[in-house]
Order: sequence, then C-alpha cells, then structure tokens
Amino acid sequence: MGKVKRTPLYLLEALGHNIFYLFLLLFGQGGAYLLLKPVIATYLLFSRKIHRNSACYLKRRFPDHGPARLWLDTYRLVHSFGQVLVDRGWLGLRRKAQLRGELIGGERLLELVAEGKGLVLLTAHVGNWQTALAHIRGLEVPINSLMHYEEEAVAKHYFDLRDGTAPFRIIKSDGFMGGMIESTAALGRGEVVTIMGDRYAGGPWAEVEFLGGKARLPSAAYSLAAATGAPVAILLAAKTGRRSYTIKVWDDFYPATGARHDRQRDLGRWADRFAKSLEGYVRQNPYQWYNFFDLWSQ
Amino acid sequence: MQKLKDQLKEIIVRDLKLQGIEPAGIEDDAPLFEEGLGLDSLDAVELVVLVQKHFGVQIEDMDEGQAAFKSINTLAEFIDARR
Repeated sequence: MGKVKRTPLYLLEALGHNIFYLFLLLFGQGGAYLLLKPVIATYLLFSRKIHRNSACYLKRRFPDHGPARLWLDTYRLVHSFGQVLVDRGWLGLRRKAQLRGELIGGERLLELVAEGKGLVLLTAHVGNWQTALAHIRGLEVPINSLMHYEEEAVAKHYFDLRDGTAPFRIIKSDGFMGGMIESTAALGRGEVVTIMGDRYAGGPWAEVEFLGGKARLPSAAYSLAAATGAPVAILLAAKTGRRSYTIKVWDDFYPATGARHDRQRDLGRWADRFAKSLEGYVRQNPYQWYNFFDLWSQ
Repeated sequence: MQKLKDQLKEIIVRDLKLQGIEPAGIEDDAPLFEEGLGLDSLDAVELVVLVQKHFGVQIEDMDEGQAAFKSINTLAEFIDARR
C-alpha cells in the first residue's frame, strides 16, 4: 500500500477527527452531537460538492422541494450521517457505551440460517450498519462481509477501536472474481455473507426502477444465491433515537435464474425486489440513506 | 486425466447452458474466462458449485480459483490433486 500523502486537506481532516475524538472523551456523545451542528453548517456553506452529490438522491426523494428546502434536506442528511460517525467513535472510545437495538424479523433470520444453505444478507448504506452487523452475532454461524477497500478500512477502524474483534470475516471484493469464490465457499459451509446491495462498483449489474428513474444496482448477490441455493434476506438498520436503533428484515426470497440468455432479466427481477425494499426504507427514513452517488446516471 | 477433462467440458457446456459451443470444440489450454470461452464472474460462482457438486472438491479462495480457472488443463489438475 502506498504512503499517504500529507496534504493540507489531509492534515485538516485529521485535525477535525482528533477534535471530535477529544469532544467525545470530554463531553461524550451529546457533546460531539452539539459540535456537529456548526461544523456541518459551515461545511455546507463552503462546499458546493456536497450539495451536488446529495442532490442526486434528494431531488428524487423530494421532487417538490425548492432550493431552500433542498439545502435543509442536505443539512439533515449530512447531519444524520455525522451522527452515525459520532456514534461509531463513541462506541469505540467508551467501553461501556451502548446503543439499544431492536431486531424486527429475527426469528425469520434464524429459520433461514437453520436450513443450512447459507444466507445472503443484503444490506445498504443506511443507519449504522457496523452496529447492525454486531447485533446479528446471535445467528450462531460465522458471518462474512463482502466489501471493497474503503468499507473494509472503515469497518476495521471501527472494530479496532471497539475491542479489536470484528463480528465478521471480511471478504475483499476487489480480488479475483470480486470475492465471489470465497463467498460461494462460505455459503457452502452454511455461513452468512453480507453484501451491500445499493452501490454499483463494477461487476454484474441490473437496471431497476428506483425513486422514479432507472438506476443501476449490483446483481452478483442474486447470482450467488441462485447458484448456491441460498436464500436472500434484506436487512436494513435505522437510527430511531439518540441511543436506539432498529434492524428490520424487509424481505426474503430464493432467487432463481433460468436460461443463460435470460439471466440478466432474471437478476433484474431480484434486484428490483431489493430496490422496492430500499424505496420503502427511504420513504420512512429519508435522511438515513447515505448515498452520495448518482445511481441514475451510471 | 483426459477423461476428467472431457467430463469437465461436458459439464461446463451443459450446466452453464453455453449455446453454440460443442464440448469437443473447447481447447484444453484455452482460457475459460473473458477472451477464451467467454465465462464471467457469474459463471465463476456456478463453476465453484459445479466442481463441488460433481467432484466433491471445494475451491476456497481467490488464489485457488485464479490458478484453477485458467483453463480446462489447470482445472482438471486442481480437481485431480484434491479428490
């Protein structure tokens, strides 16, 4: 891995992180939440990029909002994301810190795992997904998480802070065949493989109807499940209060693919099902989907 | 070993539903993916499952997969060494 270039922006960012860590140590979660407000307001005043990146999603979620309301929507989205980052830091730094989690549909997950075919757990960049993964330790089978380098770095950082033990094994998606071989082997052993279903970053994809437009979503998860016979469950976490969150099983199904020339269409059908769950989620929690990419123009 | 290679070719054409390709027409040393037989990452998943199902051999990680999935020759050698 190359050496990190210490540019002024990098140093400023590092300083910002350290100030937040200091606030967390001195004033706890509440203190860091307070600091978040002026920091985000200032960030939004000076960064045009964050407005541009958030607008791809927010304009579709709130088509009737004018520029002023969109500015506020951007503030609420970034503020909510900031709170998730603060929570991660707080959980990592304070050993006794706890978030109360409620798992809705946990029995269904247990049933699916008990079938012994493995389980593809589809999630998204919503809520505090690291905390959510920690919450499903109770499944009593090993959990693997297919993720690309950035997510891997964040996850490692979080669990290194917490207690040094991640509740899951990381499968790198940037290797040969995008981690599909390791994922197949894990499902074959009856294990759980978690995959982000909302960010296309290469590999097979499907075009789905999402928030009034055609968006591109990754489709490898459905192919993986179809080939191995594993079920797919869609699990999305949402922050419900300062120290509480819910994790809900939104849907579960057994993907299947038919003839080779119909494979793209078949995978699209399953990706569409994920899109419907995610759309239901963003209708309920509009400021908790941390998507800063234009999925509709990929 | 040739019997194993022929068996692999038949399984790949039949179970991956390759159209317009005869098992006998697949060269032993031709690449399986991309410019060779044209398989992709979705096929890789199915191939891992097929190797397990037909030969009881598990491909565990990308290093094993990368080496085994180069051609019919390498896949046959991989299976032969592990079963």
